[in-house]
Amino acid sequence: MEELLEILKEIKPDVNFENNKNLIDDDILDSFDIVTIVAAIDKEFDIQITAKDILPENFNSVEAIYNLIQKIEEE
Amino acid sequence: MAITSLKFILFIAIISLIYFVAPKKFRWCILLVASYIYYFISSSKLTVFLIVSTLSIYLTALWITKIEEKTKEKCKNKEKTLKKELKAKLAKNKKLILLLAILINFGILIFLKYGNFISININKIFKIANIGIKLPLREIILPLGISYYTLQAISYVVDVYRGKYKAEKHFGKVALFLTFFPQMLEGPIGNFGDLSSQLYEGHDFEYNRVKFSLQLMLWGFFKKLVIADRAALCVNEIFSNYNNYTGVAILMAIILYTVQIYADFSGCIDIVRGIAQIFGVNLAENFKRPFFSKSISEFWRRWHITLGAWLREYIFYPISFSKVCINITTWSKKIFKGYIGKLIPAAFALFFVWFGNGIWHGASWKYVFYGLYYYILTILGMLFEPLFNKIIEIFKIDNKSFGYRLWQMIRTSIIVLGGMLIFRAYRLKTAWIMFKSIFTFEGIDKLFNGELFKIGFETYDFVILLIGIIIMFVIGLLQEKGYNIREKISKQNLVFRWLLYYGVIFAILIFGIYGEGYSASSFIYGQF
Repeated sequence: MEELLEILKEIKPDVNFENNKNLIDDDILDSFDIVTIVAAIDKEFDIQITAKDILPENFNSVEAIYNLIQKIEEE
Repeated sequence: MAITSLKFILFIAIISLIYFVAPKKFRWCILLVASYIYYFISSSKLTVFLIVSTLSIYLTALWITKIEEKTKEKCKNKEKTLKKELKAKLAKNKKLILLLAILINFGILIFLKYGNFISININKIFKIANIGIKLPLREIILPLGISYYTLQAISYVVDVYRGKYKAEKHFGKVALFLTFFPQMLEGPIGNFGDLSSQLYEGHDFEYNRVKFSLQLMLWGFFKKLVIADRAALCVNEIFSNYNNYTGVAILMAIILYTVQIYADFSGCIDIVRGIAQIFGVNLAENFKRPFFSKSISEFWRRWHITLGAWLREYIFYPISFSKVCINITTWSKKIFKGYIGKLIPAAFALFFVWFGNGIWHGASWKYVFYGLYYYILTILGMLFEPLFNKIIEIFKIDNKSFGYRLWQMIRTSIIVLGGMLIFRAYRLKTAWIMFKSIFTFEGIDKLFNGELFKIGFETYDFVILLIGIIIMFVIGLLQEKGYNIREKISKQNLVFRWLLYYGVIFAILIFGIYGEGYSASSFIYGQF
């Protein structure tokens, strides 16, 4: 989780990732941010997030993103 | 059967009556039959293309789900390496089936809509290369809503492929999803996840829901018949005879065309969403007051929302996450580092989005350029964003202030006006001539002596148009501030409410523009 938070903060330093639970629904992250975040996660965690995983519920909070990473790792 | 015609209103009334009388579990069948009747009346023989599309997505989606289930069964109690092999085989087969569905559906669209455009361009190349072959051209006849339902068809199979949901087993239900009649003219482009349960569930008659539906339809008719079709009188005159007009008149035509297309398209969507609401189906919103946007990206998130969402979901993300794009990301980060490094992969993926947006609107270079116009401006905006932020910081500009936001909205609107000029002009060359003539500033005197307001219509029409635009703006402003107009109206007393309803109905009847034989002009976005 800490590693993920670091990645997110590096990409969007002005966003409070710890407290915000509606990153997509409140338009805090746009599609460009998602692409950058996914590329960074793919590299750091050595996984492959595909277009089918790009759902608002998977990116609304840091916990949701973390769960997605774990789900892909398990697969 | 135009949706602003009396025939169509009667058709809705009859279908509604049958729908609410029919047993609940068969109500979706009424919608399916009504949809096919409507489609057959509009497209007759061409209905065959819709049936082929429906069959193709029904079968391919089922096929995907079936092989997924089979593989799941085979994987049970198998060791890890074998499971991996089976899954890899499944992924490959799924991809092939998806490709087949895409080829069939885009194949039909490309053949019918872009066949001539492709032939003309190949013929030009042949001529330059001195090859004595000339590809034949054919008469273009497009089935109703093909550009909309094809995207919807592709989204269904892709979503099943992505595992968002399982394939629908009932052919009739897939057919209704693709053919639901209010959507056939101009969208909105729906997705199966949002629509399926709403379409198949039998909804009871609810007074409030139906009342809200009728209000929404009424507002749509007002926008279409009073505003859009009136603006069209002046717009058509100036765009058709642009050589006779200069400066201020050309600028007025571009502004009025922007008003026209917004009132026309959003009016149609209001009517369509109103009709669907009668049957308890909430279609996706297609417009969220786009002219309050502060940037081009925001404008396209508020204008034709469902097309933007489709392009993002099925073009932008797949390309962004493709191996090619990931390689570009790695390469650009190595070479450029920092902001530019991030910008290059985005620019790569966005090119396909904007090219797709442009060509979707029509088979001509003008529309390709229309897409690229927005592409170039979006990329320039992204490129200079750090510089703009620096300027804001240095000059201590309050970017949250009303003045700054107003400037952003005006700036966005000016860019949109440029796009609309390309969109409406007969050719790119015409757009360029018209654009240049604005800066001659000729004809300012006509603004003051009133002659400007008599082009294509009378001063009286201009006044009605202006009032209509003001009403539309005020309502937009209230909605932007979070007011729910329909709820506010429903809380007013009976007399006020009915005076308002009659007021709008009479405004539409008296001030609506009705063409020859009392049929309103067709919707602009219907031709795509």
